[in-house]
This record gives sequence, structure tokens and C-alpha cells, in this order.
Amino acid sequence: MKIKILFFATLRDYVGAKTIELEIPAGTTVLGLKESLVRSFPRMIPSQNFILTAINGEYAADQQVIPQGSEIALFPPVSGG
Amino acid sequence: MDNPTIISITETELDLDALMRSVTLSSTGAAVVFTGMVRGITDRAEPHKTLYLEYEAYQPMAEAKMRQVAAEIRTRWPSVEGIAIVQRIGRLYPRTPTVLIACTAAHRDTGVFEAARYGIDRLKEIVPVWKKEVGPEGQTWVEGEYIPQKGE
Repeated sequence: MKIKILFFATLRDYVGAKTIELEIPAGTTVLGLKESLVRSFPRMIPSQNFILTAINGEYAADQQVIPQGSEIALFPPVSGG
Repeated sequence: MDNPTIISITETELDLDALMRSVTLSSTGAAVVFTGMVRGITDRAEPHKTLYLEYEAYQPMAEAKMRQVAAEIRTRWPSVEGIAIVQRIGRLYPRTPTVLIACTAAHRDTGVFEAARYGIDRLKEIVPVWKKEVGPEGQTWVEGEYIPQKGE
């Protein structure tokens, strides 16, 4: 299935794109997606344990299965204010 | 009159007076306003100079999370009347206000100080906004430390 991934801050720099579309197997978890992205973009390795994930605008846990057609966002811990 | 909640992410200058008016009711007797600004000279921890900060937001989620912060304030401090949470984004130079949290209440002893404090602390935990710091030595993304849990 196809998903859209948005990247922000450092992660956008590591990936070199604001957004990508990716084909993933049904049943892929957040952790599985992160592991596959880290393999494709090794610059993510040092921060891989501190990547936050949102599915359709809500923070997601590593074990969560990614639903069909969802918008995924990956980003570092926030630093607004 | 309904209790106003103002949530906004903007690239334009924060109008503190207008925001104050929008959260002041006839019954309001106290307002606590926090604004953060770009600090050009940092003495604490690792002393350094900052030329400007570049802010970006995951806008729809950031607005939803700011609404959530306002809702959490209302649950904890039911006497709070108006709430404004405004984050400015884009390139911002030293001495420029970047964020505003305003809470109003009938009286100052209602928890309104704590409410505004909670608002800025919570924004810095869960609202997806980031800043890149540009100084004479180069640029680095500022990263927070808080890891939100599922559904937080």
C-alpha cells in the first residue's frame, strides 16, 4: 500500500525532501517503517532512537500498525516557543 | 459570554495589545502573558551569539496540539476565562517575540499564573514546531528532549 511521509527539521535535511510517497507492505509498524527509512538514509542513524512519529496528526507508538492511506510525519523532539 | 480560545500560527508580527483585548471579558480582572523572544546573546550553559532563528511548523498538527494545550489548561484551571496561544514562524531576529501565551481570569489568585506557565511548558513538549539557530559559526537545529506518548 502507498503512504505519504512528511519530514521536518533535521529529518528533512537527512532525507533531502519534505515529503515522499512510499510503497509499504500491509501490516508495517511504525518501528518497521523507521528501520527501513534508516537503511535508506543512513544519516538518520545517530538520531534513530529519538525520531517522533505522527499518524494523521496524532503521536504514534512504535508497535502501531500503519493504516492504509495515512499521512505519516517524522520529526525530532519539538523545539518551538 | 463564551470563554474565548485564540489559537494561531502566523508569519506576521505578534500584536500583543490586540491579543490581550481578544481574551479580556467584562468579568476579567487578571491576565498573565508570557512571550518568548529571540535571544541574541546567550550566557547560560554554552555561551554563544545568535543572528536569527528560522521556525517551521507541521501546521495542521501544531494547531490541533495548541488546541489540546488550551483544553488541558481549562481542565486543570476551570476558572481561566480567555486563552491565547500564538506561535510565530519564519525567520525571526533577536528581540522579536516568537510565541505568546495569555490566560485571563477574574482574579489573580485563581491559578492563572500557573495556567500560563503550563501553557508554554506544554507547548514546548507536544506542539510540532522547530527552530534552526543561525549564528556567526554556522547553523544548527534546536531539538527538544520530550518524547510524547501515543495519543498525547
